[in-house]
Amino acid sequence: MQDQATPLTLDDVVRLRRRKKGVQFGIFAVLIGLVLWSVQATVIDDTDWQRIGTLADIGESVAHFIGVDFALIPSLLGPTIETFMIACIGTLLGLVFCVPMIWFGALNVTPFKPVTYPIARVAMTLSRSIHEIVWALIFVSAVGLGAFAGILAIAARSLGFIAKMSAEAIENIDHKPVEAIRAMGGSNLQVMIYAILPQVLPVILGIVIFEWEINIRRSSVLGLVGAGGLGLVFFRQMNTFNYPGVTTVIIAILMLILIGEVVSHYSRKALI
Amino acid sequence: MAILEVENLRAKYSARGPEILKGISFEVEDNDFFAIIGPSGAGKSTLIRCINRLIEPTSGDIRLDGTDMLSLDTRALRRKRRHIGMIFQEFNLINRMSVMDNVLSGRLGYVGAIRSIFRVFTNRDIQRALELLERVGLQDHIDKRADQLSGGQRQRVGIARALMQEPNLLLLDEPTSALDPKISREVMELIRTMANELKVPVLCNIHDVQLAKEFCNKIIGLQDGYKMFDGPTETLDQSSLEEIYAMEVL
Amino acid sequence: MTMPEKARPDTLRGDDVHREWSRFKYPQTLINYGVLFGILLFFSYSIHYLNIPLERILGMFGRLGDVLANRYYPPDLDYIADTDYLDSVIETVQMAYLGTLFGLTLAIFLGWFAAYNVSPSRKYIYPVARLVAMGCRSVHEMIWAILFVTILGFGLLPGVLALTMFSIGFAGKLFAEEVESIDMGEVEAIRAMGGTNLQVFVFGVFPQVRVAFTGIAIYTWDVAFRAATVVGFVGAGGMGWYLKRNIMQIETERTAAILLSIVVLVVISELISAWARSRVSKAQ
Repeated sequence: MQDQATPLTLDDVVRLRRRKKGVQFGIFAVLIGLVLWSVQATVIDDTDWQRIGTLADIGESVAHFIGVDFALIPSLLGPTIETFMIACIGTLLGLVFCVPMIWFGALNVTPFKPVTYPIARVAMTLSRSIHEIVWALIFVSAVGLGAFAGILAIAARSLGFIAKMSAEAIENIDHKPVEAIRAMGGSNLQVMIYAILPQVLPVILGIVIFEWEINIRRSSVLGLVGAGGLGLVFFRQMNTFNYPGVTTVIIAILMLILIGEVVSHYSRKALI
Repeated sequence: MAILEVENLRAKYSARGPEILKGISFEVEDNDFFAIIGPSGAGKSTLIRCINRLIEPTSGDIRLDGTDMLSLDTRALRRKRRHIGMIFQEFNLINRMSVMDNVLSGRLGYVGAIRSIFRVFTNRDIQRALELLERVGLQDHIDKRADQLSGGQRQRVGIARALMQEPNLLLLDEPTSALDPKISREVMELIRTMANELKVPVLCNIHDVQLAKEFCNKIIGLQDGYKMFDGPTETLDQSSLEEIYAMEVL
Repeated sequence: MTMPEKARPDTLRGDDVHREWSRFKYPQTLINYGVLFGILLFFSYSIHYLNIPLERILGMFGRLGDVLANRYYPPDLDYIADTDYLDSVIETVQMAYLGTLFGLTLAIFLGWFAAYNVSPSRKYIYPVARLVAMGCRSVHEMIWAILFVTILGFGLLPGVLALTMFSIGFAGKLFAEEVESIDMGEVEAIRAMGGTNLQVFVFGVFPQVRVAFTGIAIYTWDVAFRAATVVGFVGAGGMGWYLKRNIMQIETERTAAILLSIVVLVVISELISAWARSRVSKAQ
């Protein structure tokens, strides 16, 4: 900021500090202003406080949810397994569709940069920016209700993230083993298998497991739009006002996600 | 008889970049342990990479075993490279593979596509790999992953991998500069023993003059892309060293 | 091309001694293959159980292309240029902003309580905080939205609260992990001079994680904004409601326009995040 030749006077220091404080204050003021504006729009204008009622009323509606519907538990087993399977197959399918996108989307291996690279990048952004519920709707309209639409939705939603991270992993490989294999007369294929894949495969698998864990959470709601699994049961309990049943379904989801987290934790550790 | 003849070699990094090698010539004889010394940035690394064309020279002549290296097409170059073993400064091992797979990978130049996918190697290759691992003293680490070894052990894997190629020439690119002095000496000793036994000439670039004097029989000195010295080790004296390292205080 | 191969003496002993080596290691290789086989078996059983018509997957691309080209094209851009819709876009941004901000504020405390190394009480607060973080994160934002809509009725407020819960869980876990990887020396120094837990956090912990927290906050915004575009689906406000209505009425060209607007908004939000991120890493 300051030239070394001209030493800072006390005045300069004070002015700089003041300017810095001013900028900080400005940013802060803008943030607070945005909060007030947003609160005004969402909480004050838009909210029907009559409908919400007093705190006691809220407490009463929350109290509906307390309790577990034990009668529901046996019929939860099927949908739970279904949700889990949708997550697994969806992730696998996403990985399969990912392969060409990783190939196109990594700068150092993309076959024809001016065309293939932008295509891959746009596809990755599309995949990630559309919410899984919307993907599910699109696929339900294309292939009908059921688990198949759910799987396709999970695949479509997760492939962008997997492809983006994997392409970055390929862009960041260590080139020393590549040089070694080249120096001993290895072909491009051998360079791929012996120098590139050993470096990126564990990284990609780690990313896939991470995404799989998130996909369990995603597949638990796909039933809301008719794509199978626990979400469907949840919706049914909600529509029949069976609030303890809702709680039971949520507990089932939590258990499933807990299992996923444990499996993910240990398998990622085993990869390193 | 000269196995490697280099004549008037020139090279640059990029088309418009500065010239790194400015007309280097030398000859490596059949039983040489040949050293390239010089300050960093003199072009040692570029020179050694020009021999197997990891870097393409701009002009000049390289003849290895009578073959004109610069006229080879991609395929022929690969077939030639399998006879040139290379040992690297930072080992360049495949860190996530086992020691055994790293050593076996030295045979890749001889192995077809399908077999390299499934990592199928002949019994003869496996026997040779085990023997080499014994010779470099790693028989107890065969199935460890390469990244679990110490620096000295990794360079031993690098040596075994290079010898797996049954090379006609060994290129060493600063094989000891990532190692401490004691291990460096052990590694150089091992290379000399193995090279003598297998009668493989060695071309080695090395920043440590003491090691060069101790292990090599011939030395060329580079400075700023020019050859400043060429001769048997005994003739390298203080004045020629000062010429090579003109800019540095010895 | 001829290869003048000179017969070099291969003084390695060669076949004198027979050495044993095999890629197969008992029992490790067996276990590895067993696990792999188990996973494959599970996958094929799942495909069977869920009745997945694998042969339709490839053909589906053509169908999907057809459907998109015939029914979703061209997107009805006039529809999304309408003020009502643009208002809902602004509402969505406001909802995401408030939800993320509330969530992040609470997540800072959660991150502190749920980090094992500095948690005020390892016996009571730590496990509770962990549980809260896990609960908030595991329940999908759509489920939070449905629950809050049931309790509070339709509107933006349930959306804000759903996003708050989501952000608490999402950022809370990442915050806690960040805090757990700090240098404990500085914490020790504050403790040694008799600092309270709050002082330990403010002076020993927070300065170390400030930059990482900012990065996590930006990331949380990215994810929460995406969620905000659809919570309206279940009546929690914002543009999701328009999406639902048009899908229900099979107004495919309007749906396409809304989807397009979502993608554009997300891309804009990501560009802003990327800019903020580069600012943060420069300031560091």
